[in-house]
Amino acid sequence: MIKATITFLSLAAVAAVLSVTAVVSVLPVPAVAHHSATMFDQVKTITVEGVVKKFEYTNPHSWLHVDVKNKDGSVTTWGFEAEGPSTLQRSGIRPSDFAAGTKLKISGHPMKDGTPAAIWTEATRADGKRFDPREGFKVK
Amino acid sequence: MKRCPFTQILAGAVATLFGLTLAACSTATPTVEKSAAPQIPQRTKEQMVDLGRQHKTAADLFKALHDEAKGGQRLSPAALPDWSGIYTRVIVPGFPFDPDQPPGGLPPAKLTPEYHSRMLKRIEDVKKGIEWDPISTCSPPGHPRWLTEPFLREFIVTPDQTWLVNEMVNDIRRVYTDGRDHIPEADRYPLYNGDSIGFWDGDRLVVHTNQLQSGIYQRSQPDYTDQVETVEIWYKADDKTLRADVWVYDPPALTEAWFTKQSYAKLDEEGKKLRIRYWHCGENENNSVFQNRQGTTEFRGFTFTK
Repeated sequence: MIKATITFLSLAAVAAVLSVTAVVSVLPVPAVAHHSATMFDQVKTITVEGVVKKFEYTNPHSWLHVDVKNKDGSVTTWGFEAEGPSTLQRSGIRPSDFAAGTKLKISGHPMKDGTPAAIWTEATRADGKRFDPREGFKVK
Repeated sequence: MKRCPFTQILAGAVATLFGLTLAACSTATPTVEKSAAPQIPQRTKEQMVDLGRQHKTAADLFKALHDEAKGGQRLSPAALPDWSGIYTRVIVPGFPFDPDQPPGGLPPAKLTPEYHSRMLKRIEDVKKGIEWDPISTCSPPGHPRWLTEPFLREFIVTPDQTWLVNEMVNDIRRVYTDGRDHIPEADRYPLYNGDSIGFWDGDRLVVHTNQLQSGIYQRSQPDYTDQVETVEIWYKADDKTLRADVWVYDPPALTEAWFTKQSYAKLDEEGKKLRIRYWHCGENENNSVFQNRQGTTEFRGFTFTK
C-alpha cells in the first residue's frame, strides 16, 4: 500500500477525509448492475467519518448519503454507491442498519474528478459493527 | 424426480393467464407422467465443443439433439422437475461470459479477425478509462448476455412453458415446450431475449433461441451480432446447482460455436427474507449516466451535491 496525497478534492472536502490510500494489489470491483465504474479511481480508497443523512435503497444502485463535517465547520455530503437492494440484503445490509443519524466511518473508491462520491467498499458503525457491501455476491 | 407443488400451481396460473389449457395443446410430442431417462448422451466438455463444431448452425445442432432425444417428451404437471428456489450465477472473477476464461486472459471464443480486433480495442480502451456499457440506459442485457448477470434468478417450469427469470429489469425468457416452431423467418425481428423453443429430454430442457439483437457478452467481453443464436441444455447438476450447457453461434463474430458451461447456485433465502422485487432501473436519478464525447461513462449529476 502506498499513501497518496489528495490533489483532486475541494479544500473543504480535503479537511474531512481521514485518509486516502492507493492500493495497487487489489482487483477492481466493478459496479456491475448497470454502468461502468470507470468514473471511479479503483486503485485509491478514501475513508471519512460522518453521519448518515439518507439511505437510498434502490435499483440498480443504492446510495448512502453521509454528512461529513469539515475542519472549517462546513458540512460536505458524500455519496457512497453500492449494488441494489437484493445484493445489499445478501451482504447483510438493510435499510434499518443505516438509519438517518447513524454515526459511521466509511470507505470507498473515490471519483476521479473530485466529486464527493465513491464506490462503497466498507463501513463501520459507531457501535463497531462492520459492513462490506461486496459480500452480497458470495454464494451462501 | 421430485414433484413441485409450487410450480404446479404456477402451471395452472400460467395456463389460465394465457388462455391455454393442457387439453388444447395439440402436439405430436408424447406426454409423460414421470420423467423418462434422458436419451441425449452425457458428454465431456471436449465432446460438447466437438459437437458444436460438427454442426454449422444452432438450428442444425438443435435438430440433432431433438433427434437424439427421439423428439423429447411433453411433461405432465406430475412430472415437473423441481427447479424452485432463488438462484444466482456462480461468480467468476472479472464476470467473463466463459467461466473458463483465464484470469487476465482473453475470452476462449474463436473470434473472427474483425471481432478479435474489436475485443482488443475494448481492452485497450478500458485501460485508458474509456468504457460504455449499453445497458447504462436501463435497457435489458439481452440474451446471451442474460446468462452472465450476477443477480437473483428463478426458474419456473410448467408443461408448456418454462420461464427463466432474471431479477435485473424484471427480465423473463419464455421457453415454449408445447411443440410450436419458431416464427417464420420473414416475420422475425430483433428481440432482446429472442424467440425460444424447446423440448424435455428426461429432466433436461433443451432450448433453441434465435431472433436476437446484437450486444456484448458482458463488460470487457466480445461483441455479438444480431445473427447470434444459442442452443442450451438446462439441468439440475445437484440439489444446489442448476447448470446450462450453452453453444453460441454467430457467423460474423465467431469462426465456430462457443461452448460454455454456466452455473447457478441455489441460495439459502435467509429465512425466507430474500425475495425478488420489481426492478425499476430509473427510480434513482443518482444512477443516471451518459456516454460523453470521449466515449466513456459520466454521471449526469448528484442530488447530494446540489
